[in-house]
Formats: sequence, C-alpha cells, structure tokens
Amino acid sequence: MRFLVFAEQHEGEFVKNSLGVLSKAASVGDADAVVVGTEAGLAGGLGKHGAKVVHVAAGDALTPPLPQPRVDVLAKLAPDYDAVLFGQSVLAADVAAGLAARLEAGLNWDLVDVELQDGELVGKRPALQDSVLVEVGWKSKPGLALFRSGAFDPQESGGEPEVRDVEVQLEDFSTKVEMVEQAHAEESSGPSIEDADVIVAGGRGLGAPENFTLAEELAKALGGAVGATRAVVDAGWYPYSAQIGQTGKTVSPKLYVALGISGAIQHKVGMQSSGTIVAINKDANAPIFEFSDLGVVGDVHEIVPKLTELVRARKG
Amino acid sequence: MSRPSNFPPPFSAADFVAEPTDPLDERIEVGVLIVGAGPAGLACAIRLGQLLGENPDVAERLGDVPVAVLEKGKQPGSHLLSGAVVDPRGLRRLFGNRLRMEDLPSFGPVPGESVYVLTRHTALPVPPPPPMRNHGNWIFSLSQLGRFLAERAEEGGATILPETAAQKLLVSHGRVVGVRTGDKGRNRDGGELGNFEAGSDLVAKVTVLAEGTQGHLTGVAVDRFGLGGEDPQVWELGVKEIWKVARPLDRIVHTLGWPLRTAKRYREFGGSFIYPMGDDMVTIGLVVGLDYRDATLSVHDLLQELKTHPKIRKIVTGGERVAWGAKTIASGGFHALPSPLHAPGLLLCGDGAGMVNIPRLKGVHYAVESGRLAAEAAFRAVQRGETPATALASYDEAVRDSFIWSDLYEVRNMRQAFGHGFFVGGALASAMTVSKGRAELGKLPAEPDADQPLLVTDRDAGYPAPDGQLTFDKLSSVFASGNKTRDDQPNHIRIERRVPREVAQMWAHMCPAQVYEIGAEDADGTVRVELAPSNCVQCGAITAKGGRLTPPEGGSGPEYTLT
Repeated sequence: MRFLVFAEQHEGEFVKNSLGVLSKAASVGDADAVVVGTEAGLAGGLGKHGAKVVHVAAGDALTPPLPQPRVDVLAKLAPDYDAVLFGQSVLAADVAAGLAARLEAGLNWDLVDVELQDGELVGKRPALQDSVLVEVGWKSKPGLALFRSGAFDPQESGGEPEVRDVEVQLEDFSTKVEMVEQAHAEESSGPSIEDADVIVAGGRGLGAPENFTLAEELAKALGGAVGATRAVVDAGWYPYSAQIGQTGKTVSPKLYVALGISGAIQHKVGMQSSGTIVAINKDANAPIFEFSDLGVVGDVHEIVPKLTELVRARKG
Repeated sequence: MSRPSNFPPPFSAADFVAEPTDPLDERIEVGVLIVGAGPAGLACAIRLGQLLGENPDVAERLGDVPVAVLEKGKQPGSHLLSGAVVDPRGLRRLFGNRLRMEDLPSFGPVPGESVYVLTRHTALPVPPPPPMRNHGNWIFSLSQLGRFLAERAEEGGATILPETAAQKLLVSHGRVVGVRTGDKGRNRDGGELGNFEAGSDLVAKVTVLAEGTQGHLTGVAVDRFGLGGEDPQVWELGVKEIWKVARPLDRIVHTLGWPLRTAKRYREFGGSFIYPMGDDMVTIGLVVGLDYRDATLSVHDLLQELKTHPKIRKIVTGGERVAWGAKTIASGGFHALPSPLHAPGLLLCGDGAGMVNIPRLKGVHYAVESGRLAAEAAFRAVQRGETPATALASYDEAVRDSFIWSDLYEVRNMRQAFGHGFFVGGALASAMTVSKGRAELGKLPAEPDADQPLLVTDRDAGYPAPDGQLTFDKLSSVFASGNKTRDDQPNHIRIERRVPREVAQMWAHMCPAQVYEIGAEDADGTVRVELAPSNCVQCGAITAKGGRLTPPEGGSGPEYTLT
C-alpha cells in the first residue's frame, strides 16, 4: 500500500496533525510525503516520521497558503499512489476537496483511523454523534482521506528520506487567486490548545471568572494551554477561542486536567481522546469521573494552588 | 402566586414587520414563497408543482423561481418531530394516483393498539375510546417523511432554501409581499463576524406561512392583520425518545394517568404514546398540557420517570436510546383557529394555524390538506384576470368545505370541557364523538397557558436520577437531538430576565433542553434568569409560558432524522 501524505507547513513549521497522519501511514504501508511552498531544507525532517520520499514543490506561486496550486501539485503525483492522506485543517480540507473533484476520486472525511483489511484500505469514521465507528472504503484509486484533528500522534520511526523536486505547470485558473493579506488571531503566550501536549481546562466549578488564574497558573507550570467549557464561555468568563467540546475545539493532548468540569457529553466529545484525563471536582457524582483516568473529589481552590506549587518545585 | 403572563417578554410583533429595504435589483423575486419545509409547506409546494406542470404558461410568468420553500433547519426534516400515527387521507388526496401509501417511507399501517391507565406499579388495560382508534392509519417518522416530501417538491420544480430563517414579514401598502431572511454570522453582541452575511428580501406574489407549531411570522401576521381566533391558542408539550429495542413491539400503545397527578389543582393532563417503528425501533413520548401550574413540572423528567414503570421498562430493556426531541402541539382546536386564514398576499396553513385534532392526536393530515388547498388558492391568485384578494379568500372557503373543518368542529369543545387534557380529554370526550359533536354545550371559556397561576411543590424530588442507560439528563438529551448550534450568536429567546423565583423555576423545569437557569437573587426577592440559548431545540414552550421564541441563525437547533 503506497501512501502520499500532504505535509502541511506554515512559515517553515509542519502542522502537528499532518505529521501524525504521516506517522500512521508509515505504520500501515509505504509513506511518501509532499511539501508545497517551502525550500527543500525543511523536507528532511519528515524522514524521522517515516517518509521514504519527500516531494518538494516550491516557487513564488506556491508560497501563499492557497488551495488550487496545491491541487495542481497533488494531481500530478497522486496517480502513482493507492491513497492520498490529509490531516484536518482549513487548507487541507480545501485541497482534498479540490483534488477529489480534479481526479474524480472518492474522499472520505472526518476519519479517525485507517487499517488494511485483506489488502484493502478501510477507514474508520465516527457517526451518530461519535457513538459508533463506521467502516468506509473507496471504490477507485487513489482513495482520498481527510483525518480528524488529533487523530494520531506524530511518532519518530524513520531516518533520512529521499528528497525530490517536483516541477508543476500550474493551471491558468489556479493563479487567478492572490493572497492579499493574512490575519492571525491574537496569539496568547504558550502553545495553542490544538497543539498543546498539556491542557488545563476550567469549568463552572471554578466559581468565578477570576479563579481562571488557577487554571492559568497550573497550565504555565506544566507548559500547557488553558481550555474552557461552553458554560464558562457562555457566562463570559473566558474567550470562545478556548472553548473545548462539540461546538468548540476538539483536542487530544497527552494530559488533560479538568478543573471543576462536570463532564457533559458536549464537553466529552471534544476531549475524550486525550491521553491521560485528570479530573478535580467536588461533586463525586459528576459524569467526568466516569471517563477520567484519575479523579480527585475535592475543592479545586484548595488543591490546585498546591498542585501548581508542587509542579513548580519539581521542575525547579 | 405569580402568573407568567405578568412578566411579559421584551418583544413587539411590530418589530418583525417591515417594508422591503434591499435595493430593487438585489431583492430575490419568487412566485409563491412558502415558509417552512414541513408537511404543510411541502404539500403546498408539491401541489403547486403539479399545477404549474399542467400550466407551463403560468409557470413561465412566475419567473426563474416559481416556488421557493424556506427552511430554518439544516435540511428539510431537521426540525420535524411528531408521534407519528398519520391518517392517510391528506397524503392520498395530495398524490392521487401518482403515489400509493406503500411508496412513502413509513413503518406500515398500525398493527393493533392498546390503551392503559397507569398507576406507579400497575397498568389497567381499557378499550380504546373512539377518537383513539387507529385502524387504517400509518406509522411514520415525520422527519423522514419531510425529507421524502422535500425530494418530491424539488422534482416538481420547487427551490428549497435550508438553513434560512424567515425573520421579518415584509408588508407594503397593507399587503404581505414576502419575508426578510435572518442575518448569519453575528456574534453574541450582534457584531459582525468574518463570515457575516446579511439577510435578504425575498419578495413573492403570494406568501404561505406553514411554519408549524409556534410559527414566528404566523404570530407576527396574526397580530399585524388581526387574525386571532375566538379563543387564545394554547399548547401541549411533547418530549419523545427513539429506542433501538431488542424485541419488536407489535402494536401502538397509549397510556393515561401516572406519572401525571389527577388532583384538579395541578391541572396535569396528558399521556404517553409508544409506537413501533419497524421491528427494531420504538418511539416513546409524553405529552402534557402547558396549562399546568406546578413550577417544578418537567415533561422531560416525567418521561424519564415513565420509563421506570414496569410495563414500559419491559419494552425498552436491552435496548438503547438513539434519538430525543421535543416540540409543542397547538391544542386550542376549532375556536382558536385564526380567522380568517388569509390576509392580503398571505395564507396560513397547518400546525402554525392550529389545525390539530387533540382528541384524535392528529394533525399531519390537516397540514397536508391545508397545504394542498393553499396551493390551489395561490395558483388561482397568480392567474391572469384573477383578483388576488378573491382568490386568496377562496382558501378559507376551501378549508371550510374540507374534512379539516368538519373534524375540528366536531371536537370543538373537548379540550376546554375536559380540563385541557391530551389523552384524558380524548378518552372522556368519546361520548361527544359518539354524538358527532351535536351535543350542544355552548362555547366554553379558555385562557392562555401563561395566565395560569403557579404553585410550587416538591415534585422534582421524585424525578429519577439519570443513569445514562434507561434515564437521561437534559444535556445528554440535547446532544441526542443532534443539536450543535453555534454558541457565539445573538440570543434568540425573549424573556423578562428578572422574575419571581417561581417563574424562573417554572422555566428551568419546563424547558426540556436546559436553556434556563436560576441565577443570582436580588434584594427584592426576584432572581435573574441565566440563558444557554444554543441548547434550544425550538420546541416553543417558552412562547406558551410567558416568553417569546424568535428564530435563531438559520441552521441552528436540532438535527432530527428519526423523530
């Protein structure tokens, strides 16, 4: 099974999601990667995540993060592969959809896993509000797959890849769009909640908006980001950009610390794939204790400052 | 004690009536505009498609979009919820020999039926009273039927516009000329987000409001054109679940009595329905009149309690809940029908107009029939040489000549006479049915649901704790409705935010979707009501009980597929 993985990069850094997809592909079959819009220097780094060959397409027209020129690049390479894989992002979703239209290929989206069954590629997609996993396949090759954010963690397995330059003649219509301006949401210090390995999230059990400093201090000590439930975002305690859950962000950090969060299913579906879930809540009947790895029944206001202190002390 | 109607919401119907404001070349012109892709609106679109197909010259005069259907849900069917055991008369007349009942997506004819009177531990079978006999009726998922009808309407040339809320009624020179759709992409404070899209003026020769229960613009139109009936409209609230079950259910079941209390001061009238949906699914729901008085009454929690009854538990044991939803049902009947059912440029259809037969628990066939009749009147109104006013007035005549009118007349006093009950009313009223409504009782008084004085009991202490297997809390139920409404949008629920504690308590318990929470108490003893509007499944109970639901951003709310 030969995979081509769209290794998405922004300003010289690979998006964690696409590295996770690459690692997964390398564990299932032979994985090559394609990088668009950067110089070859960066490409070598993909080897350690399992890429055997890295195709690099660079040039002025390919630098801005626009989908159509990327579709041109992928359309040239894709016919040599059994499947082309993408990690969910705004750009990747656009490119995947464009490629599917261009090649008249099948695209399965929102997948969380993929495996080989009797030599055939089978994707897994959550359905009915994530209560069941549906197996999906492809009728034609190459099959296109778009994976949910955080579906896989990047693994380091390989070595030096072979780097090949790709020359692509862009279609006329692909150069009609021009990037006028790029705006970035205000960056808070520390990692974003999508990329963080550690998330400390606060719920209404914190009691008051000012108590979010408890979460912030602990997150800082652990080198993580701060998340919030819908209830506290609704109440105006914390910005919407930090909302985790069904109508917020879906995250899967290695460690998720839930402070004063009851664990309604709307929240659970946004964080249930986290590595280790630690919950601190004074209500012993809170649903969060049903899916946390470590549950502490107690008052966040007493426990968290001590925990923060302890973490700081250990880290020196 | 307080009455919810003493604390009116900050809402004025006049704010939702406007002249078209878009420049002429930006208005979207359609022939007939239908608001709501439910059984009434889609039947109207399907009948128009049939008529325009037979009269291509008329279709041509109506322009590029002869028929448009606005739908606020994600897709047709997303906001449809009903029992639903359907009297096939409406669908048969709509499709004639084009389709048979067997061609529709149903779960077949009613296989048999039972009625039980429940106490906490017992179930006494009683013979089904005449209005509740369902031989010859068909079991449907209304959401599925809606999707099917939408496909038929599109085949007939209708354009369906989902995720589009009808926000304002466009009125020019005293005539309805269309609707203005809601803005999209506003944040909580009303500010414009990056993806902001302003609403548009949709102008039409005829506008048909088929919005279903608690229709937003129907309410606005009734106010603007003075179309109120003799009685105020009243409602019942139904909450239902769909279960995958281990064993098939071989009949439809209705229950009366427990968990509702019979003492008159509580005014708790209602009952449950349990219908098979094929061999492996069952729908189970509870309906309670919204004229109840106990501030701690929660229809959702009573439904949970109902499932703990040995008789009911047996049906769902070994199964799994797969869907949940809630909706109000107009129950004012004949005397609460808008009068007339038309205004210049406007027709009112279906549940939105209150065309529901409460003793028989049926309304889908009236929705379909009224939609069909509205199509014929609208078609007449756009003919050359017709006076639109006369043509639209013919809709009222057609409804009076139809089975809608004779059926509703027959049961006109039942709800009022028997204390506004759903099933109890139906059961006791069978005597009236036997007399075909000829028993002359005069006209009995009716009062709005929000006028009922509240009392507070400890009823809520008895609700079962949710176990996530048989019984469920409200939030996980909202999740099971498929609701994933964007949180960061303006609040669409109008209520008085500072009210006496019992009013806030009543709203918090009433709402099946946990939209209302009791907040901080003030020095004067009133409390602040906190809102989580994105939980809202748009059941409409708040409009009956002293608030006002307005449409949120198009595409919000539940995404029903099986209900």
